Amino acid sequence: MSISVIILRNKTLTKFITGSFALLHILFTVYCWLNLNRTELTYFTFNSPGVLLLSVLSLLLIPTVYHGFIYASGDDTRKFNTYHSALIALITFMTGAYLANGMTVLWIFVEATTLAVAVLIYHDRTESALEATWKYVFVCSTGIALAYLGILFLGFIYGREDAATLSFASLSNIISQANPLYLKVAFVFVVIGFSTKMGLFPMHTVTIDAHSVAPPPISALISTTLMNVGFLAIFRVYVLFSSSSVLPFMNSVLILSGVLSLLIAAGYMLKAKHLKRMLAYSSLENMGLVAIAIGVGGAGYYAAFLLLVLHSLSKSSLFYQMGQLSRVLHTFQLDDCGKYMKLYPAGALVLITGMVCILAIPPSGLFITEFMIFKGLVFNGQWFVLISAIVLLCFIVYAMSTRIMHIVFSGPRKGSGPEIPDRLNPVETLSQFVFLGIVVVMCFYQPPFLVDLINQSIAILPV
Amino acid sequence: MVNYLIVLFAVTLVYFASAERLVIYVKLIGLQGLLLCGIALFELKEVNTANLVFIMAETLVFKAFLMPYLLTGIIGSSGVMKVHRQAMPGFYLLLFSILALLSSVILANALENPFVNTIYMVIALYSLFTGLLLIVTHRLIISHLIGFLILENAVFIFSLAMGSKMPMLINVGILLDIFVGVLILGFFGLRLRPNTNELTRLKD
Repeated sequence: MSISVIILRNKTLTKFITGSFALLHILFTVYCWLNLNRTELTYFTFNSPGVLLLSVLSLLLIPTVYHGFIYASGDDTRKFNTYHSALIALITFMTGAYLANGMTVLWIFVEATTLAVAVLIYHDRTESALEATWKYVFVCSTGIALAYLGILFLGFIYGREDAATLSFASLSNIISQANPLYLKVAFVFVVIGFSTKMGLFPMHTVTIDAHSVAPPPISALISTTLMNVGFLAIFRVYVLFSSSSVLPFMNSVLILSGVLSLLIAAGYMLKAKHLKRMLAYSSLENMGLVAIAIGVGGAGYYAAFLLLVLHSLSKSSLFYQMGQLSRVLHTFQLDDCGKYMKLYPAGALVLITGMVCILAIPPSGLFITEFMIFKGLVFNGQWFVLISAIVLLCFIVYAMSTRIMHIVFSGPRKGSGPEIPDRLNPVETLSQFVFLGIVVVMCFYQPPFLVDLINQSIAILPV
Repeated sequence: MVNYLIVLFAVTLVYFASAERLVIYVKLIGLQGLLLCGIALFELKEVNTANLVFIMAETLVFKAFLMPYLLTGIIGSSGVMKVHRQAMPGFYLLLFSILALLSSVILANALENPFVNTIYMVIALYSLFTGLLLIVTHRLIISHLIGFLILENAVFIFSLAMGSKMPMLINVGILLDIFVGVLILGFFGLRLRPNTNELTRLKD
């Protein structure tokens, strides 16, 4: 489908193919739900964590495609088709990464996502886009090489001819006899390598720059589903090693990485002047919390998955809204934004609701996840981490809420705003309200099918 | 014989730390490609012939000739002959390089494994550290690219260490080479100035 979009060179056909692809993807996800734990084509298994994150991707697909149509509508046919071809490729690669049942296959798909994302980041063909693309490709390549070193260390542990695919099932049988030092080195390489995709410290910078220039619907994917790919890659190795003696070491690495992510997010959000960069730092903060949640263990595992799902819904809504905001105000610079409530009330409501949701302020479902993480930290007696996290989150809440409130209610700090602001149809915000509504409902009620799937995903982990 | 080639590979890494002319870097990258081809020939005796020919052709064509050719083109078009004057002086880089070698020896001995030859582990780790050192301490994009190629060679040596047992790992590693090809071609295609050290448009 991706290739056909390039060959056909017709906008209407491209829209039809992309729309059909989105529908097929949703049908495929339903098929995965109906055939949980089934292996197809040798290298793919419809496992619980993969299907859960695949469902999030499917959920985001229709609004992403819809906002993509709007964003790229002014482009010439070649640019329009390149965008949609890369989008289809990216979604396919992410789907492959979610369902891969071996480390090498997972790595190949993660590597492939870099190329598709690079095309999408460079969509606007500006100097900034060029710089962001170069940085993204270079840092991701380095990260991917380091992640591959981690996979090679897994190979060293195994050292058998029948381990060609390094499947998770085959590796899990021999982990308990492996040299713990190898496991530690492999895990560190995997965390550093895949943190390029998860947007976690230490390789977080790459996604921040990518967000500032990528089209908003693509930022929505990079910030949610692609980060989920990075998380899943790290989580797979974590699950694999969790039965060994290196579990406390892995937890320490994740908590350290998580706290440092929070620290960087808090520091930079306080000085952020670009709205999309601010949201990118918010993603760094949430991924930091996910890492801490996994490091905490116990109820933290459940909180991590719920946080990923709810963060994906909230953050994608905010990024879709950024696309609309730029059409109304013609800028992403904080100082040039203001009076959004007057100019586009529906969008302003999305911003306020999205802010409440993403900052985990009740009635946001994210509040439940953070509460579970803090409860886990208290239970483990990790007071330093708990206090650091709470203090840093206070800075983040302050930084984000003052900025959003300024955009919504105050006038622009520089100039008087756009002379003739564009008028948008409030219906365009429908998907954003639906997603944010789900996040709020999740604070009070989590559907049993979701709870079951998350519990299945973490069932193998130690309590 | 294979041990001589590996030691020679380590010598090229020391040379990387002390050299400042970009053309020397390119020649060293080409030489490393040839050495890796030789190491693959001697090491992968148990791999089937077709796979061995493929791996050797890849190292010879891609690492020994294509990469240096592309890099020479970039240097020629940019007109930059030496590393940026703000880069870490060669003497200090050499000291760090020696420190990296010592760390590699210690780490490799700690990671002794019946499936892996320790000397491979030492040189692969040393290569990894050298690549990262170049990326971190240098200012030019071309230096970063060369650092990445060294890092990528480290991955290749690691995969060679396991190659006889698991040839699939080498083939997957070759994917990384292809990825680097795309990276460099993108470098041409996007017309980023290789001598630039001012990738600072995107900042807070």
